[in-house]
Amino acid sequence: MMNSSLLTPSSSSSSHIQTPSTTFDHEDFLDQIFSSAPWPSVVDDAHPPPSDGFHGHDVDSRNQQIMMMPLNDGSSVHALYNGFSASGSLPNFHIPQGSGGGLINQQGQTQTQTQPQASASTATGGTVAAPPQSRTKVRARRGQATDPHSIAERLRRERIAERMKALQELVPNGNKTDKASMLDEIIDYVKFLQLQVKVLSMSRLGGAASVSSQISEAGGSHGNASSAMAGGSQTAGNSNDSITMTEHQVAKLMEEDMGSAMQYLQGKGLCLMPISLATAISTATCHSRNPLIPGAVADVGGPSSPNLSGMTIQSTNTTMGNGNGKLNGNCNGVTKGSSSIAVKEAVSVSKP
Amino acid sequence: MASADKLINTDVPEKDVFALHFLQSLSNLRTQSPLNSPNKSIDRVRKIKKAAYVSMARAAGGTSRLWSRALLRRAAKDDNKSVRFSRRKRKVTWKISSKRKRSNQRAPVVEEAAERLRNLVPGGGGMETSKLMEETAHYIKCLSMQVKVMQCLVDGLSQK
Repeated sequence: MMNSSLLTPSSSSSSHIQTPSTTFDHEDFLDQIFSSAPWPSVVDDAHPPPSDGFHGHDVDSRNQQIMMMPLNDGSSVHALYNGFSASGSLPNFHIPQGSGGGLINQQGQTQTQTQPQASASTATGGTVAAPPQSRTKVRARRGQATDPHSIAERLRRERIAERMKALQELVPNGNKTDKASMLDEIIDYVKFLQLQVKVLSMSRLGGAASVSSQISEAGGSHGNASSAMAGGSQTAGNSNDSITMTEHQVAKLMEEDMGSAMQYLQGKGLCLMPISLATAISTATCHSRNPLIPGAVADVGGPSSPNLSGMTIQSTNTTMGNGNGKLNGNCNGVTKGSSSIAVKEAVSVSKP
Repeated sequence: MASADKLINTDVPEKDVFALHFLQSLSNLRTQSPLNSPNKSIDRVRKIKKAAYVSMARAAGGTSRLWSRALLRRAAKDDNKSVRFSRRKRKVTWKISSKRKRSNQRAPVVEEAAERLRNLVPGGGGMETSKLMEETAHYIKCLSMQVKVMQCLVDGLSQK
């Protein structure tokens, strides 16, 4: 019978934490187990869950008390193997699983384990002393080394992967499968949020001068040059003359005095922002919107240009929830010379 | 997703908690230096930004989160104030001891990204990578909430 081969303690005599040396024999084991007749010597009482395929297990009320809860995944084979092979000398094991729970008791207790495995794993008071989590994880995986360092390593990797998955849902564009690009995305998103806080705290002040001086500072430190300059170079190919003219005007004004340049822009209902923020906004929002030129000069006012003339600045995700009606009102406010810099949705963009 | 969040608690308070803290800090700022508007106004920007971060840290859970604790400590250090931290039982994980031995086994890709994250997230210098990512998740949630609050304020105030 096939039992004999399984009952011989092949490799686990030394330590209970041991995986069988053969990795792929488990498949055979599984088949054997599912198709085999009762296990007389080892299994005390095995009540398979409905989904499992154990039939005809002989409840042997002998002393061999390895009571097993067959698991749904492959780890069941593992557990069974370990249970069978070190019969009688098995320390208590408690296998909590994601999919099920395995329970190996040392004392012969006829358990009525028809309940779901999760509850079964916590029931049967006093029989199983739960060893540290790491040991049970060893059982959980087949064919991997049981060196404590690699266990720790594996645990650590699992935890990191788990958290990365949670982070993936937070970050927009979090559908990258590659871990490296996902991490880059996370980092960029944190930077973007911090930048947003900075910009918003700037806008809370009144006065274009403060904002402009801040921007010139920031522009120098970031090496963004002047965002208007960059916008100017970018719109070189733009066929719309009004924008080019505005750019030139602004550039000229900037050389003299930043404040007047800002006021000029705001008089037109435009706003100035660092390129990094503009690109961040453009990547953060949905791309189904109108094409975005990551320049600095944004056309915000409705009255000034009904169509977009090729440049939009889109508000970030966060402002979408604020109600679109308000944004329209704000646009008019901006054209009236309000000094706050705010990123507004262009009027003519249709909202989803 | 549900399984991941079961183990990690990344709940943040509602928006109004953040709004309340932020408005309180702003009003404190105003009473602090009512007529003192410095010429440069950059100081004002900095103060507002700092108030934003501190209020966010307070709203997010005070000293119960690592990043908020580090943020508050950093802010208090600038003002030469001292922050009182409640004594918390440190959860010692055996994992950390093995970290020292096998440092070369860490996935280098993850580790260099973790290094960059540590520079960004306050208090990240002393954290393990998995803890760092947990803190990052909470930090991101709080940051986005704070940004929403500030944006709402700006929109509300700029309507003339």
